[in-house]
Amino acid sequence: MHDKSAHAARHRVPPTGFIRKYIFSTDHKVIGEQYYGLALAAVFIGMVLSWIMRIHLAWPAAAIPGMQLLSKNGAPGGVLTPEYYLQLMTMHGTIMVFFVLTTAPLAGFGNYFLPIQVGAEDMPFPRLNMLSFWVTFGAFLVAIAAFFVPQGPPLSGWTAYAPLSALGEVAGPGQGTGQVLWAVSIAIFCVGQLLGTLNFISATLDMRCQGMGLMRLPLTVWAWFITACISLTAFAVLMPACILLVLDHVAGTSFFVPSNLVVNDQLQPHAGGSTLLWQHLFWFFGHPEVYIAIVPAMGIVSHVLITNMRRPLLSHKAIIYSMVAIAFLSYMVYGHHMFVSGMNPYSSIAFSLPTLAITIPSTIMVLIWIGSLYGSKLRINTASLFALGFISMFVSGGITGFFLAQPSLDIMLHATYFVVGHFHLVMAVAALFGIFAGTYFWFPKVTGRMMNETLGKVHFWFTFVGAYCIFMPFHYLGMAGNVRRYQAFVDDFMAPLMPVHKFITIAALITGAAQLIFLYNLIHSRFWGELAPQNPWEGTSLEWSIPSPPPFDNFAGKLPVVYHDPYQYDIEGATNDYVMQDSPASINSVRGEK
Amino acid sequence: MSQSDLTMGTHLSVPERSSPFAMPSKKLAMWLFLIADAATFATCLVAYGFLRNGSLNWPTPFKFFPTVVNTMVMTFILVTSSLTMALGVRAAKMGDQDAAYRWTMLTAAGGSIFVLLHVHEWMDLIDEGVRLSRNPWGNALFGASFFTITGLHLIHVMAGIVVLIVVGLRCRGGRCDAGDVEITGLYWHFVNLVWMFVVPLVYLLNVSK
Amino acid sequence: MVLTNRQDDRGAPYGGNPGKYLLVYFGILVLAGLQFAIAYQQVNVTAALFRMFALAILEAGLMVVFFMRLGAENRPFVTWIAIVTLLVLTIMQSSWPDSYRMERDAPPNDRSPGYRTGPSQ
Ligand code: HEM
Ligand SMILES: [Cu+2]
Repeated sequence: MHDKSAHAARHRVPPTGFIRKYIFSTDHKVIGEQYYGLALAAVFIGMVLSWIMRIHLAWPAAAIPGMQLLSKNGAPGGVLTPEYYLQLMTMHGTIMVFFVLTTAPLAGFGNYFLPIQVGAEDMPFPRLNMLSFWVTFGAFLVAIAAFFVPQGPPLSGWTAYAPLSALGEVAGPGQGTGQVLWAVSIAIFCVGQLLGTLNFISATLDMRCQGMGLMRLPLTVWAWFITACISLTAFAVLMPACILLVLDHVAGTSFFVPSNLVVNDQLQPHAGGSTLLWQHLFWFFGHPEVYIAIVPAMGIVSHVLITNMRRPLLSHKAIIYSMVAIAFLSYMVYGHHMFVSGMNPYSSIAFSLPTLAITIPSTIMVLIWIGSLYGSKLRINTASLFALGFISMFVSGGITGFFLAQPSLDIMLHATYFVVGHFHLVMAVAALFGIFAGTYFWFPKVTGRMMNETLGKVHFWFTFVGAYCIFMPFHYLGMAGNVRRYQAFVDDFMAPLMPVHKFITIAALITGAAQLIFLYNLIHSRFWGELAPQNPWEGTSLEWSIPSPPPFDNFAGKLPVVYHDPYQYDIEGATNDYVMQDSPASINSVRGEK
Repeated sequence: MSQSDLTMGTHLSVPERSSPFAMPSKKLAMWLFLIADAATFATCLVAYGFLRNGSLNWPTPFKFFPTVVNTMVMTFILVTSSLTMALGVRAAKMGDQDAAYRWTMLTAAGGSIFVLLHVHEWMDLIDEGVRLSRNPWGNALFGASFFTITGLHLIHVMAGIVVLIVVGLRCRGGRCDAGDVEITGLYWHFVNLVWMFVVPLVYLLNVSK
Repeated sequence: MVLTNRQDDRGAPYGGNPGKYLLVYFGILVLAGLQFAIAYQQVNVTAALFRMFALAILEAGLMVVFFMRLGAENRPFVTWIAIVTLLVLTIMQSSWPDSYRMERDAPPNDRSPGYRTGPSQ
C-alpha cells in the first residue's frame, strides 16, 4: 500500500521569512485564516454599527457617547442625524454581506479545508489565491475609508438603489465621494472573489487524490464547489454595474439617472438613463449572493451533524442535487426583489414561480436533516448545537419567503421590517450559525487546541435566544406597517410600536455583548486551550487524518489514497464505530442496516 | 467486535485519479475566467440595449465612410488574427516552436493594428465632440455606452497583445509552453468573439442610412 | 507557479490539415460581411437587430467550436459550460420588458403617441 500513497506530491519547501509565511503567504491554510480574520474584524465593526443603529431607533434623541468623534456633522453632540443613521446602516449592510457572509463561509473555511478534504497539498494556483485575499483586503480598506471622507459613507443602503446612488452630492451627505468609494470597493471585491472562484472550482475537479471520486467528496466540498459556480458569474455582473455607477459620478454619464429629475428644486443635468436598470443588474447579482452566503453553511452544518450523529444523512445525493438545484434556480428568481419597483407586472409572475420552486430543494434539505436527526444519538457539543440552531433559523426565516414570493402579498410586506426579519433570520443569522458551527468544529484542527465547551454552550444559548428575540418581533412590526430604512418611528401609526423597538434594542445589546464570550473563548483557547488530539470528534474525512495543526503541505509530502465514501459511521467491527476515508480497511456491514 | 473483522485492503475499489473535464487546470481556469468575462460583457451590452431601446431619440450618426469602412477593416483584422492564433496554437502543440513564435507575433501585430485603428477612430469622434457625457447628435447615452463598451473591449485587446508577446517570445527562446500558448489563444479568440457582438450592436445599428 | 495534478489533456489531438481553420475563417468573414449588408437593408431596427444577432451567434459558435476547440473537449465539460453560460446569458434578458417603460412610466401596452412624446429632453 505504501507505494500507492507515496503518490508524487512535488517537493515544496516551506517559506521561512515572517512575511512570506504569514503575510504574503501562498499557503491555502494561511490564506483561509486571513480571510477568517478579515471576517472577524468586519463582523465586529458591523455589530457595533448595528448597536448604534438600534440605540438610535429606540431612543432617537439619545446622545451616544463618542459618536461625535466619528463624525462631527453626522452626530453633533453624539446624537445621530437622520442622514447619518442611514449612512451607518449602509455600512452595516455592506460590511456584513460582502466582508463577512461572503468571506468567512466560502473564502475562509473553503480555503482552509477544501484542499485538505480533497487530499491535495494546496490550491492549484497558490499565487492567484494570495492575490485574491489581498485584493479583497484592499476592497475592505476602500470601503472603510468612506467613514473618513468629509461627508462620510453613502446613505443609499447595501443595494445602492439609483437614482439616489448615482446623483452625487445633491442626493445627500455621503452620496458624493462616499458612494464612489463604495462602488469602487465593491468592484475590487468582485475581482478578488473571481480569483478565489477559479481556485475553488479547479481544485475540486482537478486536485482530488487517488480514490477520491466526486461522490466521495464530503458535503462541505460540494457546497463550496457549488457556491463557487454561483459566484463565478454573479460577481462578474456586479463589477461592470459598479463601474457604470462610478462613471455616472465621475464622467457625467447617466446610465442610472432618468431625464428631468428634480432634486431639491434643482433640475439634474443627467438625461436618459434608467433606475430600473440598476435594480436589474444589482439583483442579478444580489439574489445569487444570498445563496453564496448560505450554501457553504449548509455544507458545514451537514458535515458537523453527520459527525455528531454518527451516521450519514438519509441521502447524500439528495443534498448534493438540492444544492445544485438551488444554484440553478438562484439565477432565475432575482426579480422577486423588484415586485414593487415599477417593473413590468408580467415579469413579476415570471419571477414569482421560480421563487416558489426554489423552496422545494430548500425544503428537501431541511427534511433530510431533520429526518436523519430523528432517532439518532446526537452528541451534544457546541458545534452540533449551532448546527441545530442553523436549521431552526433557516426554517423560521425561510417560511416567510413563501409569503414574500407572491407579488400580491409582497406589495404589503415589501420595504417593511417583515423583509428585514426574513433575511436576517434566513441569511444573516443562519449563515453566522454555520460559521460558528464550523469554528467550534474545526478550531482544534486549525490551532491544535480545544475551545472551551462550557463557554461555547453559554455563547450558543445567548445567541440562539437572542437572535429570536431580535428578529421574530421584526415580523410583527412589519405586518403592523413598520417601514424599513427609517431612522425614527414617530408617525402616529408607528408610535405604538416603540415598546417593541425598545425590547429589540435591549435584546440586541445583550446578544451582541454575548459575542464577547466567543471572542474571549477564541483568543484564550488559541493560546491556553487544552491540547487537541488529531481527531477529537472522531470524524472520517481527510482533515482528521493529519496532525493538528496540519503541517505545511498538509500530507507531509505524500498524497493520501482514499478508499471509502466520506461518512462511514456506525460500522460493525471497526475499532471505534467509524472508518476513515483513507483507511485501507474494508467494511463488512453497517450496524444500522441489519 | 475486533480488528479481525476487518480485512486489509483486498476488495477495496480505488478508482484512478481522473478529472471529469479531462483538461489541464490552467486551461480550465481560463475557460472559467472566460465565462465570467462573458457575463461582464453581456452586462454592458444588455445595459446598452436596455437604454437604447428605451430612448426616443437615439442618434444614428455612423457614416459609411469613415466609420463603417473602418469597422470592416478592424473586423477583418481581428478575424484574421484569430486564424493566425489558431495556427500558432497548432504549431506550439505540434512542437514547432519557430512557427509558434511567428504565428503568435503575427497575431500580436494584427492586434496592434486593430488598436491603432480603434484609437484613431476614437480620436476622430472626440474631435467631433463626442464624450462620455455628451455628443453632438442627441441622447447623451450614445457616447457613454459607445466608449464604455468599446473601451472595455479595447482594454482586453491590449492586455491580450502584451500576453501574446510575452508568451511568443518564450517560444523563440525554445522555452515554449504549448499550454500557455493554448490558453492565450482561448483568451484571444474570446475577445474577438465579443467583437462579433459589438460590431452589430454598437456600430451597425447606429449607421445613418 | 501552478500546483496541479492534471496535465493530461484528452482533447482531440492536433495535427492534420490546417485547411479546416481556413474554412472556418472564411465562414466567419462571410457571416460578418452579411452583417454589414443587413445594416444597410431597409428594415426596422428590431428586424435588423435580430438578423445581425443571429449571424453573430453563428460566428461566435464557429469561433468557440473550432478555434477555441470546444468541439474537441469532453462531453461533461461541454455540457457544463453550455448550461452555465446559457443560463446566465438567458436570464440576463429578463430586463428587456422594463426598457419599454423607461421614459413613459406606463404599462407596456400603453403606446399612445401622445405619451411617447412626453417631456423628455
Ligand atoms: C424559502 C426560500 C426563499 C424565498 C421564497 C425568498 C423570497 C424572498 C423575497 C420575495 C424577497 C423580497 C422581499 C421584498 O423585498 O419585498 C426576499 C428578500 C430577501 N431574501 Fe429571501 N427568500 C428565500 C430564502 C432566502 C435565503 C435562503 C436567503 C439568504 C441566505 C434570503 C435572503 C434574502 C435577502 C438578503 C433579502 C432582502 C434583500 C434586501 O432587500 O436588502 N432569502 N426573499
Ligand atoms: Cu432573493
